[in-house]
Amino acid sequence: MWQRWFTVKGRSLFSIAFSLHRLTGIVLTIYLCMHLAYLTSIRMGKEVFESFIATTVTPQFLIFDILLILAGVYHGVNGLRLIIHEFGLAYESRKSILYISVAIALIVWLIASYRMYVFVMGV
Amino acid sequence: MDVEFKIKRFDGEKSYWQTFNIPVKKGMTVLEGLYYIKENLDGSLAFRASCRMAICGSCAVKINGKPRLACETQILEIGNKLEIEPLDNFRVIKDLVTDFEGFFAKHESVKPYLIRKDDNYEEPVELIQSPKELYAYYDFTLCVKCGICYSVCPAAATRDDYLGPAAITAAYRFNADSRDEGEKTRLALVCGDNGVWRCHFAAECSEVCPKQIDPAKAVQKMRFKAAIEAIKSIFR
Amino acid sequence: MMANEVNKINKMNKEEMHTKRVLEPLAWLFQLISGLILTVLVTFHFYETHFVSHEAMEYELVVSRLSSLGHKIMYALLLFFVVFHAFNGVRAILLDTNFGAKYPQVVNSLCFLAFLIAFGYGSLLILAF
Ligand code: SF4
Ligand code: FES
Repeated sequence: MWQRWFTVKGRSLFSIAFSLHRLTGIVLTIYLCMHLAYLTSIRMGKEVFESFIATTVTPQFLIFDILLILAGVYHGVNGLRLIIHEFGLAYESRKSILYISVAIALIVWLIASYRMYVFVMGV
Repeated sequence: MDVEFKIKRFDGEKSYWQTFNIPVKKGMTVLEGLYYIKENLDGSLAFRASCRMAICGSCAVKINGKPRLACETQILEIGNKLEIEPLDNFRVIKDLVTDFEGFFAKHESVKPYLIRKDDNYEEPVELIQSPKELYAYYDFTLCVKCGICYSVCPAAATRDDYLGPAAITAAYRFNADSRDEGEKTRLALVCGDNGVWRCHFAAECSEVCPKQIDPAKAVQKMRFKAAIEAIKSIFR
Repeated sequence: MMANEVNKINKMNKEEMHTKRVLEPLAWLFQLISGLILTVLVTFHFYETHFVSHEAMEYELVVSRLSSLGHKIMYALLLFFVVFHAFNGVRAILLDTNFGAKYPQVVNSLCFLAFLIAFGYGSLLILAF
């Protein structure tokens, strides 16, 4: 049962990191398809594209942008952590590496979200 | 002191929770608690155990959500309310007894024994090994085949034929042994799509292993070797 | 576990198909490599469209980026790696299940098809300008 990929009870942070990695991976795949479809508007000309931008680059969509950035940043940073270990390095310090990567992900997320906020609000 | 044992039972058809209150002394293990129930409260309770000293690997159960060996877990270390369930990722036969046949079959399938060209059981010869060579694999020999690692593995949860951390660790243990000559064979055995590629380093196995032998590490090393071996085979 | 599954494991191990033995390792390795490359490319993509200036998403600018050769190459690489990484990831997820164990070829072909479609569709944009 696929629900067990997301078991949290009784599990360590590593399992939770795995669950989130899988979850964000699925979210990002869906977003990728949406993004490719969205970009079709560029081919349809200036008016269509600008109307797309006008509806999506708005304060109402900001929350989705920020969540998406969180998913992307987490998947990226956690992915780097996995690559280190899957290439056979540093198992012994995997706890500290996990904490560090979560911290990095949070920091990058906050910075990127702030820039996104500035970008959307146009301040 | 009375401690509450809430046990998830299964009678072949339905599963239900049953609660027992048992008197506990300092130092008493969960396994002793289970024996107390079986001997004094409900003789129909089924669980598995043998050595009572954490070397046979029979008694793994889930205690308050975490899989552990019942015989090396002290009740009072956990608290005065215990929730005991059978291991995840295994079919439950009765109460806390789960079906290990597949787990052992997987273990067997990676050939966990020395493979040598000069095998001669009529006139065995001594195989010399330095301490350094011993320590290259020693930790991984400590596995007691308790299945705890397998029970928390997210890949094993959804794919029944995944070899699982314990079997791959066993394969690694023999591949890392300087006396062994079967490395290629075992690499091929773990290289299928039910093998090392199903691991995504959730690394929970290493967190829960009662012998702390780090199965996740063995799986990563095995996979790295398997990948290199497979890529080399393209050019051969 | 049932006896037939045990048999399946033994059978599986005996007749390892050659393609299977190369596909899985290469897919794994390339997943890691594409992941590494993507952290750079996606960060750059995001930086360029959201950090530099508010005008970055104006139609003329978008089109001018799409028409420059350097950007075309960058977008093509980004598209290729991201689509591969996404659908190889989906493939790995599906192979983690009993369904994947039963129909590995179906999973592999479907994911490859999805990869081709998404890559082809995305390329239309890169080629349009
Ligand atoms: S590797 Fe550890 S958890 Fe897994 S079967 Fe062996 S002793 Fe048990
Ligand atoms: S009874 Fe042998 S390990 Fe617990």
